[in-house]
Amino acid sequence: MRGVSVIVTERLVRRYGQRTGIEDLSLRVEEGQLFGFLGPNGAGKTTTIRVLLGFLRPTEGRATVLGLDSWRDTRQVKQDVGYLPGDLRLYSAMTGRELLRIFGMIRRRDLTTPGCDLAERFSLDMAVPVRKMSRGMRQKLGLILALAHKPRLLILDEPTASLDPLMQEELIGYLRRMASQGHTIFFSSHTLSEVERLCDRIAVVREGRLVADEPLEAIRARAQRRFTIRWATEAAQASVAAPGFLQVEQRRDRTWEGNLTGKATELVQWAAQQPIEDIAIGLPDLESLFRRYYDQGGVEAQHAEVEGS
Amino acid sequence: MNRGLLVKSVRDSASVTVLLAMALLLAEGLLGYVLPTVMTQFSDQLLQVPFFRTIITALLGTDIGDSLVPTTLIAIAWVHPVVLAIVWTHAIVFCTRVPAGEIDRGTIDVLLGLPVSRWNVYVAETIVFLLTGLLVLMMGLLGHRLGILSVDRDKRPGVGQLMGIVANLYCLYVAVGGLAFLVSAMSSHRGRAVAIVFGILLFSFLLNFLAQFWSPAQAVAFVSLLNYYQPLPMLRTGVWPVADMMVLAGFGAVMWTAGGIWFARRDICTV
Repeated sequence: MRGVSVIVTERLVRRYGQRTGIEDLSLRVEEGQLFGFLGPNGAGKTTTIRVLLGFLRPTEGRATVLGLDSWRDTRQVKQDVGYLPGDLRLYSAMTGRELLRIFGMIRRRDLTTPGCDLAERFSLDMAVPVRKMSRGMRQKLGLILALAHKPRLLILDEPTASLDPLMQEELIGYLRRMASQGHTIFFSSHTLSEVERLCDRIAVVREGRLVADEPLEAIRARAQRRFTIRWATEAAQASVAAPGFLQVEQRRDRTWEGNLTGKATELVQWAAQQPIEDIAIGLPDLESLFRRYYDQGGVEAQHAEVEGS
Repeated sequence: MNRGLLVKSVRDSASVTVLLAMALLLAEGLLGYVLPTVMTQFSDQLLQVPFFRTIITALLGTDIGDSLVPTTLIAIAWVHPVVLAIVWTHAIVFCTRVPAGEIDRGTIDVLLGLPVSRWNVYVAETIVFLLTGLLVLMMGLLGHRLGILSVDRDKRPGVGQLMGIVANLYCLYVAVGGLAFLVSAMSSHRGRAVAIVFGILLFSFLLNFLAQFWSPAQAVAFVSLLNYYQPLPMLRTGVWPVADMMVLAGFGAVMWTAGGIWFARRDICTV
């Protein structure tokens, strides 16, 4: 199943007059992938999605979705795409059931049964008019409308916004199952933790430019871990020099704290030969890594990193 | 044609259509009843007032003669500002829904996220616009027929003549709708689109009004849409104003086509 490109953008540029939406963005999303599209607000995530869905015409470059041109063949593209907008608005006078029926007619499929199954799973009353729904309920309805036809590609823009933690878990579980069946998920967010929980590949966009695009495992491997070492005695602490893979930030009360820049196994092997009372190694600190991507100063360095990889 | 888009459009516009159809039924019923029965009693006194005479002439777009006969008064019922306002309101409210209204309220993201082309959406809206407009005008015709029941049978206009007026008004409705579709296609804010179309129609109304007694306005009166909607000559002669209807329908078609092309090519941005 994998290896077929579902989304391809080639040197995509989209400008709004003088302002740049996205600049020279080249992406490739493979079938069955859980693709996280990460970036701060205003980075160009929604612009990219709007180009992919044929809402915006690219200024330069090209975007294809499911092998079709995203602008020219937009109607055919969306036969197999489910889309949840970031700022979801639905027809306020209609009920969930009515919307499901009308969307089914537009898609020329019966969505009632799969839609009602999803509504049951997400605990949503489909008889309530949209105007009487809370934000969370509307978000659930938007997800049902995007998922009911079991699309090959699902584009979700900030999908967990206004969902409670239980519902977030339910959604993530559902998306994982979809991906395991070959469906592709394009998951846009500015929150690392939710992308980290779901995605197996992450692209980071900042100021319209791609600053990272790699598997989550590769990012994890590069991310630093926090460590804490408690020495057996003060004398031991004073006599030992820190090896190159440890960045010690604090030394006090027989304790070292800092970042592990090498592999955990290196630290374990080294620690086994030292007079150490206790040692703790944290999980890879993706937050700080992504903060560097987001930071102005870190961009150039990350560019070099991406180009080099 | 995508049936779902038609159903969506009907469902989305049903309340305003029903409301305006009832309003036109009521307005035509009242005008059809009040004007011929009450005003003929005061015809001579009213025609002595120059301002009143000017107003009536301006509204009808033609000289009214020396007395307010029922035919003239029945014609007034079809050019009364309330009637025009109802018909125009339906055309403007309906035709600014897509795309300006959908962009304004943010629902276009969901709509265009479905496997439909922009032309599919535009054509579906247009079909429902044409059908609901017909419904609204037929309700007006019904109200008018009920209203003029008090007029002597031999002084009532025939169904053919009334249908001619309704057909001419429908062409005016199509012209206004076509203009509204174009303005809507170029706008991302419904309020702005409504204001622009309303402004153009107000200008058209005033120009047509002024042209009756101000020669500079007369020279350019042909640009006013109302110049092509004049029920009184039709009631007098019984001949359908085919040329006027063609001008209105042609204007509407050109505006509509331009709107569709613009909508199909424009960027859709709700954020």
